[in-house]
Amino acid sequence: MTTGVPAADQHRPSELLDTLKRLGFGVAVAVPDSWLGEILVRIEQEPSMRLVRATHEEEALAIACGARLGGARTAMLIQNVGLLSMGAGMVCLAQRYQFPLLMLVSYRGTPEDPVFYHIPKGQATEPLLRGLGLAHARADPARPIGPQVEAAATYAEESSSPFTLLLSRKDIQW
Amino acid sequence: MVSGTRPSRADYYRVLADGLQADALVVTALGNASYLWAAMRHAPENFYIEDAMGLALPLAIGLAVAQPARRVVVVEGDGAVLMHMGVLVTLGAVAPKNLTVLLIQNGVHAASGGQALTNPALDLAQLARAAGTRQAGNVATPEAFGAALHGALAADGPHVLVLATEPDLDVVRPPIALDPIATKLRFMGAIGAPRYVPAMFGGGRLM
Repeated sequence: MTTGVPAADQHRPSELLDTLKRLGFGVAVAVPDSWLGEILVRIEQEPSMRLVRATHEEEALAIACGARLGGARTAMLIQNVGLLSMGAGMVCLAQRYQFPLLMLVSYRGTPEDPVFYHIPKGQATEPLLRGLGLAHARADPARPIGPQVEAAATYAEESSSPFTLLLSRKDIQW
Repeated sequence: MVSGTRPSRADYYRVLADGLQADALVVTALGNASYLWAAMRHAPENFYIEDAMGLALPLAIGLAVAQPARRVVVVEGDGAVLMHMGVLVTLGAVAPKNLTVLLIQNGVHAASGGQALTNPALDLAQLARAAGTRQAGNVATPEAFGAALHGALAADGPHVLVLATEPDLDVVRPPIALDPIATKLRFMGAIGAPRYVPAMFGGGRLM
C-alpha cells in the first residue's frame, strides 16, 4: 500500500477496475452474477475496454481464448459456478493451448455469503480448481485488491495458463 | 442423411480456398474440418481446434473482436452448434462485422464416427436469424457457395452460411503435426500479436 489509506476504506471494485485498465486489458468476457452486475456496466462504459456478454461460461472461455489469440489482454468475470460448467473447454482449449487468461471469479457459497443455495458451489470450488490443476488464489481482504489482481494477471502471462482469483463480495460488488 | 447427393466438405473447401483473401484468419473445428483444411490450404493464419467441440465459433467471435481489421472465417459443425446453441445469440449481439461463419450441416457427428444428431434437419440459418444475425442463409451447391462467399467477404458481417454437406467419416491425415502450442504460436506470430514482456524485465505488459 502506497496511499496510506487502510485497505478496508478503499473502494475495492474501483481499484480492481483501475488495475485492469492500467495493465492494458482490452477485452473482458463475462457471464453475470449479482455481485458482478454493476462492475460489468462500468466496464461497458470504459472506452479502452470491450465487454462481451456470453450466454454460458464455457462459451465465455472460448471467446476469451479467441480474444487472447488475437493479441488482446483478456479477463473473464464469472461466478464460481462457471468453473464447474466450463470444465471441458478449460482442459481441451484453455489449458491444452496454454492461453494466459485472468479469471476473476465471484466466490459464492462461502460462510460470508448470505444466499444459502450457493453453498454447494462454494464447497466444490477449490477442490475443483485443484483437480483441474488450475492455478488460483483467494483474494486477501486485509490487503488492497489492485496488487493482488496484478499478481494474478502476471502469473497468468508468465505461466502461459489461466489463473483464477477468487473474490469476495467487497472485492467486486460496486 | 447419407444420401450421396450433397456436396462434400472438399467441394466447399475448394471454393473457400479460391475465394479467401490472402490475409484472412481461418478457425476450423475439430476433426476433418481442421484436417482437410490443413491438407488443402495450410497457412500460419489458420487456427486448428484439436477437440473442444462447439468452441470454434465462440473462439472466432473473440478473435474477430480482437482483430477487427482482419477478415475472420470460422468453419463449425452442426453438431457443435447444437451443443452450444447459445453462441448464436452472442453472435447476434456482438455482431462482428469481420466475421463469416460457415456451418457444415451434414446431419451427423462426423468427427466421432457419424452418430445421429438430436435433430439433423434444423434450419440453422433461420435459427441464426432469429438469434440476431440478419445475414444468414442456406447453401446447397459449391456454385451457390462461391457467390455467397464472395458477397460475404466483400461486405460487413457477420454472415452465416449453412452448407448442406455429405458426411465425411474417413479421417483425413493432415500433412503437418497439429500441435496445439505450435498452432497458437505460429498463428500469433503471423498476425503480429503483441508479446508479453515479463515483469522482471520491466514489462508486465503486452508490447
